[in-house]
Amino acid sequence: MRDVAFVVPVYNEAEVIGSVIRGVLETCPHVVCVNDGSSDDSADRILEAGGYLVNHPINMGQGAALQTGIEFARLLPGVTRFVTFDADGQHRVEDAVRMLRVLDSTDVDIVLGSRFLGEAIGASRAKRMLLKAAVRFSNLTSGIRLTDAHNGLRVFNRHVADTLRITAPDMTHASEIIELIAHNKYRFVEVAVTIDYSDYSVAKGQPAVNAVNIAVDTLLRKVSR
Amino acid sequence: MILIQVILILAFAAIFLVALRSRSAHSVNAWKKIAFAVLMVVLVIAVLAPSMVGVVAQAIGVGRGTDLVLYLVSVTFAFYVVNQYLHAQEARNQLHQLARRIAIIEAQERYGMERLTVLASTRTTPAPGTTAEQPETLPPHA
Ligand SMILES: Nc1nc2c(ncn2[C@@H]2O[C@H](COP(=O)(O)OP(=O)(O)OP(=O)(O)O)[C@@H](O)[C@H]2O)c(=O)[nH]1
Ligand SMILES: [Mg+2]
Repeated sequence: MRDVAFVVPVYNEAEVIGSVIRGVLETCPHVVCVNDGSSDDSADRILEAGGYLVNHPINMGQGAALQTGIEFARLLPGVTRFVTFDADGQHRVEDAVRMLRVLDSTDVDIVLGSRFLGEAIGASRAKRMLLKAAVRFSNLTSGIRLTDAHNGLRVFNRHVADTLRITAPDMTHASEIIELIAHNKYRFVEVAVTIDYSDYSVAKGQPAVNAVNIAVDTLLRKVSR
Repeated sequence: MILIQVILILAFAAIFLVALRSRSAHSVNAWKKIAFAVLMVVLVIAVLAPSMVGVVAQAIGVGRGTDLVLYLVSVTFAFYVVNQYLHAQEARNQLHQLARRIAIIEAQERYGMERLTVLASTRTTPAPGTTAEQPETLPPHA
């Protein structure tokens, strides 16, 4: 799969990033890791494991890292398909492979992973409820209906990579991407995926209060459009 | 003039001078400059003739002069906060774009992705998943 690039935002994931990269390398040689000013040795682990290291000089947030990673991946010769993939080991490569097949066999521009069509292993009830509330909020504000709104696993074609402009630097970017799907009229489909909430990823994951940030920023973007 | 009037007017004058002398002043919206100058004049008048504030307050139905001043200060402050927030966001976006360019250029260099042909021997780290022969033409930089 030399025409595929995985784009992985990395922030202080030294413990797991190596094995995540090695897992991807078994099927795809291009793993673009955007190290977002980590204070641990994520950068060394990325180089060791054989990912492309793209180093943000300062911490700018996951949205900013994705945009950087996509822009770098576009420069890799022969790359026509893109996967966004989390560094914390929550995503599965075989899900990405299935989504790539969907991208190829249908006429959609972007395939979105959905843990509510699939599974969220180990997610607490509170987390599920919060994520479901986020989906309802997204469906009300974004203009398109989805079953999962904050899933980092996405697969898209060159057209999306060339035209996507993520401006929300932080976690709000997930909502922004959905708004851009509606605004840029990308054809999309959701595919069931499995998200593993390991102890590690839960400890590192997003605190619930961040939902307030995301909601406020989304409404601000709506009125400023 | 009472002492407090002298102190306040000197303070306003100092603020005004600092604002005038700031090198980046020309980048500020002309309307904001005018509003600032008007504000300074109003403040000086209010300090010299406090009763006038009361008259104005009565005229527009606020009652007490101090209330009018409080309302105006509140509005001005809210405006200031929003203005600063937008400025900070703009500055952050510019910073992010700059940092992104640096990150990409540095990575391109690391993987020998110069648009000009780079000799394999000058590459510091071999591009992962690529063999010796790398295509020499890369897509034009966006
Ligand atoms: N570049 C960058 N990446 C980040 C930042 N914070 C988190 N990430 C990465 O984003 C991915 C997902 O982060 P999480 O914090 O787990 O967010 P999430 O998966 O949406 O939330 P959970 O459902 O709670 O796990 C991981 O690959 C992190 O390394 C950041 O500030 N900058
Ligand atoms: Mg996570």
